[in-house]
Amino acid sequence: MKATRDSARAHLFDFAVVSNEQVAEGAWCMVFKSEVAALLAPGEFVEVSVPGDPSQVLRVPLSFSRADAEAGTVRIEYAVVGDGTRRLSLMRPGDTSTLVGPCGHGWRLPGGEGRVLLVAGGIGLPPVLAAAEMLAAAGRTFDAVVGAQRGSKLVGVDVDLLREAASADPASRVVVCTDDGSLGRAGFTTDAMAELLAERSYDAVLTCGPTVMMAGVARLAEGAGIACQASLERMMGCGFGACSCCNVAMRDGTSRSCCMDGPVFNAGEVAW
Amino acid sequence: MVSNVSMAVNLGGIHMKNPVNTASGTFGHAWQFEGFYDVARLGAVTCKGVAAESWPGNPAPRVCEVSSGILNSVGLENPGARAFAEQYGDYLGELSSRGCAVIVQAVGHSVDECRRSVELLDEVAPWAAGIEVNISCPNLARGGRLLGGTPEDAEEVVSAVRPLTKKPLLVKLAPARVGEIARACEAAGADALSLVNTVNAMSINVHTRRSRLSRPTGGLSGPAIHPIAVRMVWEAAQAVSIPINGIGGVATGEDAAEMILAGATTVSVGTANLYDPAAASRVLDELEAWAVEQGVSDINELIGAFEC
Repeated sequence: MKATRDSARAHLFDFAVVSNEQVAEGAWCMVFKSEVAALLAPGEFVEVSVPGDPSQVLRVPLSFSRADAEAGTVRIEYAVVGDGTRRLSLMRPGDTSTLVGPCGHGWRLPGGEGRVLLVAGGIGLPPVLAAAEMLAAAGRTFDAVVGAQRGSKLVGVDVDLLREAASADPASRVVVCTDDGSLGRAGFTTDAMAELLAERSYDAVLTCGPTVMMAGVARLAEGAGIACQASLERMMGCGFGACSCCNVAMRDGTSRSCCMDGPVFNAGEVAW
Repeated sequence: MVSNVSMAVNLGGIHMKNPVNTASGTFGHAWQFEGFYDVARLGAVTCKGVAAESWPGNPAPRVCEVSSGILNSVGLENPGARAFAEQYGDYLGELSSRGCAVIVQAVGHSVDECRRSVELLDEVAPWAAGIEVNISCPNLARGGRLLGGTPEDAEEVVSAVRPLTKKPLLVKLAPARVGEIARACEAAGADALSLVNTVNAMSINVHTRRSRLSRPTGGLSGPAIHPIAVRMVWEAAQAVSIPINGIGGVATGEDAAEMILAGATTVSVGTANLYDPAAASRVLDELEAWAVEQGVSDINELIGAFEC
């Protein structure tokens, strides 16, 4: 596709922290106010400049669980995995910084009218919650499998919101599982997914979580002949297509940009 | 800002309305920055390097963060010169007509590949104000040593591509032996020099004992290399009479001013574009404010005005 001057979607915005609290072991939830809220679509992301250490120059790419255009707020849940997210967890209400967004291409509303299956692992849950709310707003029904290593790491508020989004459909199922069985059923999300696939038919699978989990989800979906979208994660330099650092290898041998072509890809096209 | 200082400069035949350029590989193909500011404000932009045929680049991860900089191992992924012109030519032609010089960059893994990419770019990018040839790639035809790592090798590449275009020819140098190599490039017909490229470096995850990139080494860029780059621009400026485009960790107007005082005619903003997308536009404003503060009527008066 030819680029034009109008192809650029990412802009620079200020944001102000409304709240920033720990919500699970190693996981925080931040709500911030920013004009970007009106522009974000589910599955997209923002690149946040985190104050506190001028020697760490790169922004931190963050997905979100909800962008409220009316309130002008965005809610992100994030795992503290490195220095950038550690400093992010130290931001207090009223603190301000800048972000770049909207970045990337998000979830596509699956074709058809049938049920959709959502599969979330670990900190992949927030963008999956955004997908659930997108589906609910479109009047679509869905089931969800949510997994974590152990119960203490599961972001419970997101699971509650996911159940709420699913509540319009009495037949919907939300299955929680943990690797060690400390909450919900014991086992991997792919085990629960396989059981649901055996019982019910789905129009599409949408997934976000650790790469090894998404590879398993993609394999199961492909085996069942169901279209699957996966939201990928990469180390990024910029988030808006300037540096070519966040490549994703595709099955056809080509390479795509996670920040521009993704982060949501057709799982069947990705070289897992 | 509006001042009475003349900011126009001439980079080896590339006429720029101000000295601010962008470093190849940190600015996409320029359109990505139109959401942050009017890109046509800049004196020039330098596009990501392209080869005659597409290159896949290296596997992920291609980037990691270190103190005051980043390491990358993108491996010059590019779609090839024809696809590049097809996808971005209309926009870049329009940018050029808006008064911003567009510099395209040619890459190759051998002297012959460099020749083919310069030849193709000359054909498919009529809107380009100049062609920069990157001689910091590994020469796969010669065991992977740098294409232009010695004065002899640099002279061979530049002599090979020089006759293939009438456009101003820039040569982008690796950060080693810059004085000697600058002289060799000038002798072979280069119109201007861009320096420096990234500094070969390593970062190891001590927990996994693995590289933080998909390869053992990568290129270090960002504020960490700025003082090294200033020193190398100064050395090169003393060695040659052709103009220099200074690159390396420029994130502020003061950084750009240092480059100009050390002898650069123009300055490219690089890694800062990634984390501060409006950086190049801000650097331009700050550079102009500095020229006003210095009391000159023309920015050219400050080129090489460093006093030891």
